[in-house]
Amino acid sequence: MTEPAAGSIYDLGYRRYEGARAGRRRAIWALYADSLRGAFGLGRGTAAKIAPAILIGLALIPAVVQLAIGVLVPADVELITHDDYYNLVKFLLGLYCAVIAPDMVGRDQRNRSLVLYFARAISRLDYAVGKYAAMWTAMLVITLVPQLLLFVGNALSTDDFGGYLGQSWDQLLPIVATAALGAALIASIGLAIAAQTPRRAFATVGIIVTFVFTLALAGVMVGELTTEVTRLAIFASPFNLVEGFSAWMFRVPPSDPDSLLLAAGYPLAPYAAVAVAVTLLGVGLLIRRYQRVEA
Amino acid sequence: MSAARSAGEAAARAPQPPPTATRGTAVIELRDVSQWYGNVVAVNDVSFDLEPGITGLLGPNGAGKSTLLHLMAGFLRPSAGTVLAFGEPTWRHPELYRRVGLVQEREAVYRSLSGWDFVRLNARLHGVADARAATARAIERVDLGAAAHRATGTYSKGMKQRIKIAAAIVHDPELLLLDEPFSGADPRQRLQMMEMLRAMASEGRTILFSSHILEEMERLGERVLVIVAGRLAASGDFRAIRRLMTDRPHTFAIRSSDDRVLARALLAETAVRGVELGDGRLVVRTDDFGRFVTAAPRVARDAAVTITELYPLDESLESVFEYLVSR
Amino acid sequence: MTWLIVSLTLRQLLGQRRTWLLVLLALAPVLIAVIFRLTTDGVRDPREFVADGVMSNVMINLVLPLAALIFGTAALGQEFEDGTAPYLFAKPLARWRIAVAKVLAAWMGTAGVVGASVLATGVIALVGGTMDLIVPAFMVAAVLGALAYAALFVCLSVLFERALVIGLIYVFVWEALITSLAPGAAYLSVRAYTLGVARALADTPATIFSAQLGGAASFGALALVVLLTLGYAIRRLGSLEIARRA
Repeated sequence: MTEPAAGSIYDLGYRRYEGARAGRRRAIWALYADSLRGAFGLGRGTAAKIAPAILIGLALIPAVVQLAIGVLVPADVELITHDDYYNLVKFLLGLYCAVIAPDMVGRDQRNRSLVLYFARAISRLDYAVGKYAAMWTAMLVITLVPQLLLFVGNALSTDDFGGYLGQSWDQLLPIVATAALGAALIASIGLAIAAQTPRRAFATVGIIVTFVFTLALAGVMVGELTTEVTRLAIFASPFNLVEGFSAWMFRVPPSDPDSLLLAAGYPLAPYAAVAVAVTLLGVGLLIRRYQRVEA
Repeated sequence: MSAARSAGEAAARAPQPPPTATRGTAVIELRDVSQWYGNVVAVNDVSFDLEPGITGLLGPNGAGKSTLLHLMAGFLRPSAGTVLAFGEPTWRHPELYRRVGLVQEREAVYRSLSGWDFVRLNARLHGVADARAATARAIERVDLGAAAHRATGTYSKGMKQRIKIAAAIVHDPELLLLDEPFSGADPRQRLQMMEMLRAMASEGRTILFSSHILEEMERLGERVLVIVAGRLAASGDFRAIRRLMTDRPHTFAIRSSDDRVLARALLAETAVRGVELGDGRLVVRTDDFGRFVTAAPRVARDAAVTITELYPLDESLESVFEYLVSR
Repeated sequence: MTWLIVSLTLRQLLGQRRTWLLVLLALAPVLIAVIFRLTTDGVRDPREFVADGVMSNVMINLVLPLAALIFGTAALGQEFEDGTAPYLFAKPLARWRIAVAKVLAAWMGTAGVVGASVLATGVIALVGGTMDLIVPAFMVAAVLGALAYAALFVCLSVLFERALVIGLIYVFVWEALITSLAPGAAYLSVRAYTLGVARALADTPATIFSAQLGGAASFGALALVVLLTLGYAIRRLGSLEIARRA
């Protein structure tokens, strides 16, 4: 029996945590890993898994078809080349971004949980960086994986598997480089837009409109009007930038005679430069947004 | 309501209060109602009748209060059992809404509308003949006249709560269902709202409100339905329920000629769980109501202490509730 | 009563930020038309530029489905998202009335924005030259297409919480991507029906602008889409458990 008293506070056994703390690096890593899982709907309901899965599946189709042909048909066919792969799946990239970016940054704003992050080891800058890294990785899944599969498929479809690898290993560098830069570009635009609003619908529509609208505008300005000034519109379209720098990195001019790259008539290197600039701008906007957002 | 259960039956903790035969006045009838979402059972085999007057629906968060209210409002199809309002199933029966008002828990309002327009919109959607007069009446009733022409998006929490109530009563419903109506209101507004609900009940309406706050229940709930983990744990007048539950821990205050001596003597009793001295009295906690009551006089006599006063400390709903919830 | 819900919904739809996004989107073709007028080289036939370049590729392929998607999924979906749905559903209103009103509101919003854009774009780019019936043909097509899309997307929002994403996948994967790879898919594409209607009504030579589907088939298919999706939406809304969505 305790000392008799009119009022008492009971010791319920709560302790302060006195052990070692993992630190900031681990905190960012945790944010990164959790965000990346969330992008694919892992740890969430079925509804959150369906859309990313469908889009990744669709993006894989060209590569899988090539792989299947390589295995089944013993002939030297290369239906889809690395350089026009992005042209084929560009809508999927945009949609995938529009589906996952709003969840990646919107949930914390919607649930007002930003304050919980900022009250812990993660700073505002860390948060933006961690989220961007997760988004970039998530985008790599849809840019790099199908390309690598395509590479294997192409190798299988030749008579001489080892010979193809030996001959085409230099393709690997542009494959990885285009995937990395493409993912970085799309991720930075998507997150910069999505971070502006807690509402998923606004963010999704904003991202889609940005990608598709600039694409359409470039299509008309470059393909239909073709004047000195309007041709510059091609640099405002992220999808065309991806097409441009991948043509540059693969050192293959566009094969499609209708390609806007031909209509614009610019050298290809500037596409890569503009893509890098736009990526940095997007990341800058994202960081700036998290410096100011009300936690 | 089935308040008049025998103590013995209650002590045996009958799993379900018997569905008392209605006297023809039941506004809401639930019979063997269950509701599940996937693998989660939100409401588990619940039966009760609701009659005119105020009834409180009490339970901790997640107990199934909102699910029950939604069932009564026809917003869910019961997974099993029947939910009747005015003798008719509430599910897929929009005509019933002429007689039912619903105040939902979420703070949502059409933010761009003014309070007046918002209530009037509800009146018109109900097809009220004189929407203007009805709107004026409802707004008057919740005392929001001064702010009626401001956009509801600018309202405080308490004001939003009141405009929601105004919207729910604009068609003069006989049955009013309120989900956590007092959350966000300050104590003064809370009293005003309670006063208003009492007035409405005295006009013969049936009012059911949910809450997890005992003070609200105690002040307003003439009758309570206590729901714990989806099951109806108790129903009726809460003081009566409290008396029926003799097997739970009780706390008594004792004033005596020598508290210190009596405390030491009581501690030796197995029925006594704890003793606290202070404030000029002795507070005793016991697991066994019956044994303690018989033991106390004997212990006092043996210790030669005179008990001048002995009274229960936990006649509040809080203790009933805590007991039910922590079981 | 239906009109009360329509006007409430229109008020909700028009009084928010994403509408401005839409207005911006609808202004794009107008802007393109202005640039065209300022820079035209006189070599290209303005009719081809307008009918094929702007109206088909930008207006019908992009502006119309996006506008309809935004209005169509928000008309009902936003009531659930914002938690205002109980105000609508706890009323003595038949559910079919709510579904019809939501489709009407989404249709009016979409047709208004897109119709105005078609008119302005067409007039700016074509006035003073041969106009044929390009502008009225695309006006009618846009308005009818808007109805079919509105009914389709309202139906999606009854069925799914994430109707917007599903609608986007339909528009950009099915109608844009799959249809371009497998032309047979056009038989199940509102976009192709809309273009078919425009083609049937415009009297421009087919060398200027062509469509996959014939006029009668397109009109019939649009009517069928409206009837089926609206009917299904009514049916499912009737048995929708509001508490599970609100």
